[in-house]
Amino acid sequence: MQEFLQQVISGVASGGIFASLALALVLIYNAMGLVNFAQGEMAMMATFIAFTLITRGVSYWIAFPVTLAIAFAGGIAIQRIVIRPVERAPLLTLVIITLGLATLLNGLAGAIFGYVPRSFPSPFSVQTVDILGAFFSFRDLGVITVSAAVLLLIYLLLQRTTVGLTMRAAAHHAEASRLLGVRVSWMLALGWGLASAVGAVSGIMVAPIILLEPNMMQTIIIYAFAAAVLGGIESPLGAVIGGLIVGVTVNLAGAYLPFVGGDLQLAVALAIIIGVLVLKPNGLLGRPTVRRV
Amino acid sequence: MRRLRTLPPRYWLVLVVVLFFIGLPTVIDSFLSGEWAQALVLAIAIMGLNILIGYSGQLSLGHGAFMALGAYTSAILAHRYKMDYLLTIPIAGLLTGVIGFLFGVPALRLSALYLALATFALAVVTPSLIKRPAELTGGVQGIVLLPPDPPQFAKDAFAAVTGMPMTTDQWTYYVTLAWALVLFWLAWNLVRHRAGRAMRALRDGEVAASASGVNIAGYKTLAFGISALYAGIAGSLFGLGSGFVSPDTFPVALSIQLLVGTVVGGLASIPGPLLGGIFAYFLPIESNQWIPTQTWIPAQIVSTVGKAGPAVTYGAVLILVMIFAPNGVVGLVTAGYTRLRRRLRGVPDRETGQMPPDHQTA
Amino acid sequence: MALLELEEVRAGYGPTSVLHGVSLAVPEGQIVSLLGANGAGKTTTLRSITGGVRWTGDIRFDGRSLRRMHTEDVVRLGIAHVPEGRGILTELTVDENLKLGSHLRRDGPAVRKDYDRVFEYFPVLRERRRLSASTLSGGEQQMLALARAFLMKPRLMLLDEPSLGLAPMIVRAIFEIIRTINGADRVAILLVEQNARLALDVSSEAYVLEVGRVAVRGASDELQGNESVRRSYLGY
Repeated sequence: MQEFLQQVISGVASGGIFASLALALVLIYNAMGLVNFAQGEMAMMATFIAFTLITRGVSYWIAFPVTLAIAFAGGIAIQRIVIRPVERAPLLTLVIITLGLATLLNGLAGAIFGYVPRSFPSPFSVQTVDILGAFFSFRDLGVITVSAAVLLLIYLLLQRTTVGLTMRAAAHHAEASRLLGVRVSWMLALGWGLASAVGAVSGIMVAPIILLEPNMMQTIIIYAFAAAVLGGIESPLGAVIGGLIVGVTVNLAGAYLPFVGGDLQLAVALAIIIGVLVLKPNGLLGRPTVRRV
Repeated sequence: MRRLRTLPPRYWLVLVVVLFFIGLPTVIDSFLSGEWAQALVLAIAIMGLNILIGYSGQLSLGHGAFMALGAYTSAILAHRYKMDYLLTIPIAGLLTGVIGFLFGVPALRLSALYLALATFALAVVTPSLIKRPAELTGGVQGIVLLPPDPPQFAKDAFAAVTGMPMTTDQWTYYVTLAWALVLFWLAWNLVRHRAGRAMRALRDGEVAASASGVNIAGYKTLAFGISALYAGIAGSLFGLGSGFVSPDTFPVALSIQLLVGTVVGGLASIPGPLLGGIFAYFLPIESNQWIPTQTWIPAQIVSTVGKAGPAVTYGAVLILVMIFAPNGVVGLVTAGYTRLRRRLRGVPDRETGQMPPDHQTA
Repeated sequence: MALLELEEVRAGYGPTSVLHGVSLAVPEGQIVSLLGANGAGKTTTLRSITGGVRWTGDIRFDGRSLRRMHTEDVVRLGIAHVPEGRGILTELTVDENLKLGSHLRRDGPAVRKDYDRVFEYFPVLRERRRLSASTLSGGEQQMLALARAFLMKPRLMLLDEPSLGLAPMIVRAIFEIIRTINGADRVAILLVEQNARLALDVSSEAYVLEVGRVAVRGASDELQGNESVRRSYLGY
């Protein structure tokens, strides 16, 4: 029983990481109807930036928000430079562009930092704490806390502030928002900035666990896809719930299903994606959309 | 004789290109022939992907997985069951094609975006899926293939032309070329006739196509099957050329490489995939070799290009092409050609529909 | 100089030209009707003003040309446009829609007072504050759109067919409020309406569009009194 609980908590921690990246995907999807295939690589870049700061002596808890700010600015820059010129292009064009961006960022990271995996510091020790007979690692608990805090902040921003309101308005009703004086184009850029910052959190949380290297987010993004699809690609809350479910399921499958083991956990995510898309394409919290001719 | 003279210039161009490729190994060294064979392999896979994306409007980011399937099918049949490798090629292609067709059935229910997402996930997971059934696939170490010896008739023909013995690489090249010619010709026919037109109607607007009676489901799954078949044959030929298959030879980067080639060459065109394959294969190699020789490029950039490999270039190319030339090279050439013709022949006046007066009669 | 001036405005969608040289003026604080049959170009005229469609000629607000300005910047000059279809943000709540009306304003206390007035005019909006705007009926959505436009504290309101699809009682209520807003706050209004009688009742001046041109213009009471105009252009 205790072991089961430990696996669940560990799964919740992974879930927090997946949920953060999934939330980034949902933010951009809501703004543009586009799945940003470069989200993971953007997060990876941000994590490398955090690493650079930390190895130059900046304390973790200062490097963290500074990196988020840089990621925010980077997201805005990417939207202004790469996405805006092709705003009106068909969806497939935009998808291919995000793939190009992902490839570019991956190569850039490889060029600047090399492919040797590095260890990334975590402010939470790997020691475990005994709660009710089960052992939970500080790291897992720390990841859960940080992820929860970030997700809560995003929720408050979007739901309780004027900026969040105008962002949501611009995302769902661009034309009508313009008639209310909302600078829709800038709201889109803000969405990208926010998504980039949230994704960065995901990268910083996961780096201590899987080691920092340019390809590290390639599997995480698959989990994030599964989480977003499961929760409903338009629902921020769905991203969180989806993340938790994926995290726990994958962890339990790896621990208790012998044919899955460690290396086929990713295949579980693939199975979730295909299963959801075939059975309930709108996910748990999504709504069916009307197809326009 | 008169018919020959009235053939449109396009046919002559095709003939020249085919002759070029047939003659190529006689003038370049054996190793280069092997490289060109690999470029043709990519071109075949890209042709398949083009049928899917350019003609039926479904985006697959996982065609590397189909290549892997074809490659491993051939490798296992040849290695474990001692089948003649050349025989395994159509088998691998057919098997992959059928699986692709089956894949196309659930794919029907997915929007373009979700299909891209699902196939991307497939591409990422493929290496782990290959490693698992280790007794069959050789696990992490993969399968080593014995390169086939060129048959006597080929050796004789080659020696008659060049006076030199034919190497394995050159033989592999010709096998690949033969398949490429067949498959490109097939694709050209497909596109010209009803299936092609149906697929193009699909790409341009599914609901409208459905309203005009096109059997959407049928054609979409057919497109998937055909494109998988092409990728499967390409994978099989890849194994033939490289002599080795392993999980690491089919990473997600391969699927991206195929996409780059499709996009750069030009979607929905027949010559596009050929250009795309050549581009996708040779760009990283050439940039690695050529750039360090350019003294005006600062050393920092040179080392960056070297270390980052093709990724940075692919990524930048993908972005720039989609922004500035979404129809790829073929699109640019066609647009330029159209502009040239207009300038030579004159364009009708927009308001009155009158052609400008002919220079000579003025 | 009128608050809003249109001079020889031509506009259209792609190759189709809809307006062929429309000139009109809305004086400060006045209600001006824009009438005409379906397809005459009334909606296109409003859309030109707020930059929703390409136009040539000149459109001036408070003397300043609106050429090449983005929609959101035109709106920020003090023009509230309630479009055909009302432009309700159905993904958001009633309260959030209202908030988007006032989000650009910096005068806190005045905003609060305006909110009180809005709920006085439209009590149903207070009741349904927290509900999704998609749950409102057609009439209630029109009220929300008007309330939101009012909260923008504009100098000019562009209203596109406020009576469309609504029951007579609701229409009466809405037009009362239009009159009040104009009277109490001196908001100028350019009112597009198919219901000519209603529009002429409430406005001081009117223009009748026919196939993209101004066919008739004049003081509203004069047009109302002129039987031949009424019969030929206004349908009653």
